[in-house]
Amino acid sequence: MLEVRGLDVKYGDVQVLWDINLTVGAGEVVAVMGPNGSGKSTILKAIIGLVRSAAGTITLDGRPIAGQPAHAMAGLGVSLVLERRRLFAQMTVLENVRMGAFHPAVRSREKERLEWVESLFPILRERRGQLAGRMSGGEQQMVAIARGLMSGPRLLMMDEPFLGLAPRIVDQIVDIIRRINGEGIAVLFNEQNVHLSFSNAHRGYLLESGRIVLEGSGLAMLEHEMVKRVYLGT
Amino acid sequence: MFDPLAPQGRLAVAALVLALLVLPLVWHDTYVLHLVILSMIFGAFAVAWNLATGFAGLKTFGHHAFFGIGAYFSALVSKDFEITPWITAPVAGLVAACAGLVVALPVLRIRSVPHVAMVTLGFAEIVRVLLTVFRETTRGEMGLWGIPAFDGFTLPVIGEVVFNAAEKVPYYYVAALLFLGTVYATVRMVKSPVGLALVAIRDSQDAAESLGINLTRYKLLVFSASAFAVGLLGAFYAHYILLLTPSSVLGLDLMILVIGMTLIGGVGTLFGPILGAFVLTIGVEAMRGVGEYRMLIYGALIVIVVMFMPRGLVALLDGLGPRFGFGRGVRLATSDDAPRPG
Amino acid sequence: MTLTLFLEQIVNGIILGSMYAIMGAGLALIYGTMRILNFAHGEFYMLGGFFVFFLFAQQGLNPVPAVIIAVAGVALVAAIVQRLTVHVLLKREGWAFSTIAATLGVSIFLQNLALALWGERFQSVPYFVDGLLQVGEFRLPWQRVLIFVVAVAVMGVMAYVLRYTRFGWAVRATAQDPEAAAVVGVPAARIHTMTFALGAALAAVAAALLAPVFAVNPWMGLPLIIKAFVVVVLGGLGSFPGAIAGGFLLGIVEAVGITLTSSEWRDVIAFGMMILFLWVRPWGLFGVKER
Repeated sequence: MLEVRGLDVKYGDVQVLWDINLTVGAGEVVAVMGPNGSGKSTILKAIIGLVRSAAGTITLDGRPIAGQPAHAMAGLGVSLVLERRRLFAQMTVLENVRMGAFHPAVRSREKERLEWVESLFPILRERRGQLAGRMSGGEQQMVAIARGLMSGPRLLMMDEPFLGLAPRIVDQIVDIIRRINGEGIAVLFNEQNVHLSFSNAHRGYLLESGRIVLEGSGLAMLEHEMVKRVYLGT
Repeated sequence: MFDPLAPQGRLAVAALVLALLVLPLVWHDTYVLHLVILSMIFGAFAVAWNLATGFAGLKTFGHHAFFGIGAYFSALVSKDFEITPWITAPVAGLVAACAGLVVALPVLRIRSVPHVAMVTLGFAEIVRVLLTVFRETTRGEMGLWGIPAFDGFTLPVIGEVVFNAAEKVPYYYVAALLFLGTVYATVRMVKSPVGLALVAIRDSQDAAESLGINLTRYKLLVFSASAFAVGLLGAFYAHYILLLTPSSVLGLDLMILVIGMTLIGGVGTLFGPILGAFVLTIGVEAMRGVGEYRMLIYGALIVIVVMFMPRGLVALLDGLGPRFGFGRGVRLATSDDAPRPG
Repeated sequence: MTLTLFLEQIVNGIILGSMYAIMGAGLALIYGTMRILNFAHGEFYMLGGFFVFFLFAQQGLNPVPAVIIAVAGVALVAAIVQRLTVHVLLKREGWAFSTIAATLGVSIFLQNLALALWGERFQSVPYFVDGLLQVGEFRLPWQRVLIFVVAVAVMGVMAYVLRYTRFGWAVRATAQDPEAAAVVGVPAARIHTMTFALGAALAAVAAALLAPVFAVNPWMGLPLIIKAFVVVVLGGLGSFPGAIAGGFLLGIVEAVGITLTSSEWRDVIAFGMMILFLWVRPWGLFGVKER
């Protein structure tokens, strides 16, 4: 469904991504694992159009999407949950979630989607009127995911969804990813932790200093010599 | 920044300085000399503003406050206490430098460009309004007149030197001294270790901090040095024009003029503001034919330069030949205002 | 000074404060969504004054359509200015400074365009409504009552728009997190242009209401934009409710201040307050403390 070929990204004169090749099939969960500063976020931002690619192609169902402005992507069925939740802090939970259906192409189905995401996250219904900035980290992450789902995406991308969350909350988010995937939505997420990345994904990529150095099924990645040696210290 | 000048570059600079110094000896037209004097004053003002804005990254919009403070201080003290302007003018520069410290302290706590713009502009407006309000002393918008001119003196060989409205040449050389002095001091600052630190500040605040460069001290130093120069220029202006009003030396127009000169010449370069000052001062005179549309064109010009020639006129010089080399290295962005996608 | 006179001063301060609030709110909206300082804001105010002068005082149009056309006209001019300058500059490095420089240029251009079109004379605009409201000793021209009522109505409409309309949501979302807003489908560039036009329209409303009080001339924008700067600093740059509160606060403090000193001190009081605020609370009354 999503296919990234030969992607290069530069910030000014500094190149941060080299020749990235990455695919996400329909209904797949894919993890990009890499240490801090390896360029994980930049891949997602390049796909959604928040940063421009210097070279390479990005296609969605065979149609090129590189160069599309970020605000058009929600209409194409691609959603991104930004790192550290990034909610509209001064807006209420309900307003935040409803903002997820802002794109004209998805606006008409706002009501049913709201019911759907509130059934996924019942807590959101209780907290509708609360300012998003005043919630706990885990609750904020749920709002952010709910917002990302409001456009009814076929591909939900999440930038470090577990960052700064307590282990118990991490488990909840993992569970949520499974349920989302269970509805047939493909998920592409970033993570620094090997286990969190690869035990929760069908396939995974290992990113080092802006290059993909390894790819394979989640299980294969976990078992791989290099991953074990460098990241698990065994 | 500016690379060490190649021999041809040094030669070009020497030729320009020589031309500047010889001009009054060969061209006696009072009006022309007056224009060049004004160009030099505003050129030095623009260089000093650019030092604070382009090099140190303190994007102040209130530097005219120091011009006005210098002008009024020197004028009032020399007039009311009958002290020679030769003493009051440098003291006025010091007063402006102290005022610069007062402004710089709050400004340094703020990183946002708009806040810095507003607090500096607000300070200048306060000075302007105060000078208007205390009209027993300053005569407010009625205009302060009766300002003493510089005292004459006798030089060996040349003979007696007098300063009066009819005789531009002595003023010309004082202005040239201030102008060249400001430029020279700026070059020294930029090329010194302090200057290198400034470039570091401009390019990345965090990087400079991690290098252990004491930003606050350098920024204060640069800002007050810049304020000193502008105050001194203001004092010269007072004893040259001999008539002051708050709106003429403290109006936002003056600041906009200097900003326009710097932008049109090339912000963040040494030669840019000087070029801009000469081009605009003389150009505005040349545009007398278009009369009231002058400022209209001026406003449009600023917009056009910002939009289409963000590096200013010096970029054109660079195109003539890289050997001139003093126009390069323009970079005003901070890490906070990288371009936005979409 | 009698109590009535003092009361009149305070009421006048509140009324003028409502105008500062509207000017400041426009500036705050523009800053909030784009993070830029619009130095041409005063000139949109000035244009609003001249449009009303032209339509109402010269062409004899009824004040209501005159004001509406004037405000719409200013919004259109502002939208064009934004597209030609700010919109382009925001995509480049160093936009925080270059947008200030560009809007300064626009400001000079518009001032002198007005000078060329209408001359430098102060043009007076008749009151929209005549007469005085009198309660006992207390007197207030109906025009000033009108100013206040319209100002409050405009603030109410703006608050409603920001809170309940899709446009308002988009503005708030863009202000709070531009990337997150873009990702959910908010077209930032269009929101920027619309917000810039809306901010200018607010300035034009203030100008339309104040034109009969202060008269109209090419330089009328400068004192008001400077007040608007003070207002947004008091309220917290980019905060709409902050600008409203800051406007009233400034109006009242100025009124009290000048009854204690003299009207010449008005601007000193305003700037003194601004610098004091920047010293002790740089993020303003309603702003959020940034890193």
